[in-house]
Amino acid sequence: MKKAEESRGAGERGGEGFEPRIVGFLCRWCAYAGADLAGTSRIKYPPNVMPIRVMCSGRVDPVFVIKALMEGADGVLIAGCHPGDCHYRGGNYIARKRFLAMQRLLDYLGIDPKRVRLEWISASEGTRYAETVADFTSQIRKLGPISLKVVG
Amino acid sequence: MIDQVRDIVKNRLGEGRVEGVIGLKLEHGQAAPCLFTKVDEVDSLVLSPKYPLSTLCRLIISKRPEARLGIVAFGCDERALVELAKANQVDLNRIEILGVACTEEQARECRCERPYPSQRLVGEKVEGAPDERGDELLGKSLENRYEFWTRQFNKCIKCYGCRNVCPMCFCKDCALEQAINVRRGELPPDFPIYHFIRAYDTIGRCIGCGECERACPMDIPLTTLYRLLRKDVKELFGYEAGLDVEKPIPLATILEYLKEGGSKE
Repeated sequence: MKKAEESRGAGERGGEGFEPRIVGFLCRWCAYAGADLAGTSRIKYPPNVMPIRVMCSGRVDPVFVIKALMEGADGVLIAGCHPGDCHYRGGNYIARKRFLAMQRLLDYLGIDPKRVRLEWISASEGTRYAETVADFTSQIRKLGPISLKVVG
Repeated sequence: MIDQVRDIVKNRLGEGRVEGVIGLKLEHGQAAPCLFTKVDEVDSLVLSPKYPLSTLCRLIISKRPEARLGIVAFGCDERALVELAKANQVDLNRIEILGVACTEEQARECRCERPYPSQRLVGEKVEGAPDERGDELLGKSLENRYEFWTRQFNKCIKCYGCRNVCPMCFCKDCALEQAINVRRGELPPDFPIYHFIRAYDTIGRCIGCGECERACPMDIPLTTLYRLLRKDVKELFGYEAGLDVEKPIPLATILEYLKEGGSKE
């Protein structure tokens, strides 16, 4: 328990034992069901993503992303339905547009845009969800812990 | 130039084509925004300093939608009105835009990309002025950019001047006033959420008037960021704010995809 608390302090999380904390905003119709499938199929994947279920990837306001990064998430994953498959016809297109613009903004502010990722994962793609999480986790591991709270 | 503008305004008022013309009025040595309704007032109309007159137009129309208004508009004012029309804040059919081109000096001062309106009645079109600060920023490493903006944003005294003056900011509930986003009573605001929200909300809407930076008492180079984002919007979505009233706002619509029947990219 103590160990878990210690690892929560920003700035001390680098080095060998760094475990990335990733917030995942998963669409209720596709990606979240995909994550469920990964679980029920007993696929092994890193436990670093904390899933948050949203009704649509289009619901993800970039403010959620920056908030997550500010509150100590090292990376943010947004996952929704494949293009053309949105339950609400086009929420994922909105998500994509926002995502592209947001990445540029993060880049200009000096926050590595590789810390955020947008993926299309359908309800039947448990493996894809597991692979995405594994890949993204290793990417964030390489980038190291975020230090947005530390003001220079 | 100013005489030409005054003549046109007098003419429009005299003919009764508009009920009033929005412009700047010089009074007691100070210029202030004014709704000119009488021909003999017009001699005190001036063109400087810069002022976001489109906001005045929006406010008058929100109280009196049937008003027929004229407005003395520079390039940025016209672009603001076009964007406001898309957001259903003004009705361009009821507004007569009296376009005035900026001088080279004004364009340089504003670092304006497009110092002229599309409908121009007065003045000669001059080319846009460059802004090297964007390239300078892009020349920096991620760490240095981060360092640069923390230093800049830490100057912020959260006066909300950039938002209040922005012709495109008209929401009744502002994300910047919600305690969940921006903590109350804390200075400077946490990096970078306040300015992140501001910058993100300009995407596809910023018309490049530069009022935010002029209003900022702490001299934060806001337009550096917004100009880069304007370039991105053009690159990513092929959209330039304020030019074409028929073109939908990029982040609010997905019509182009639905028409294609959904691209798979």
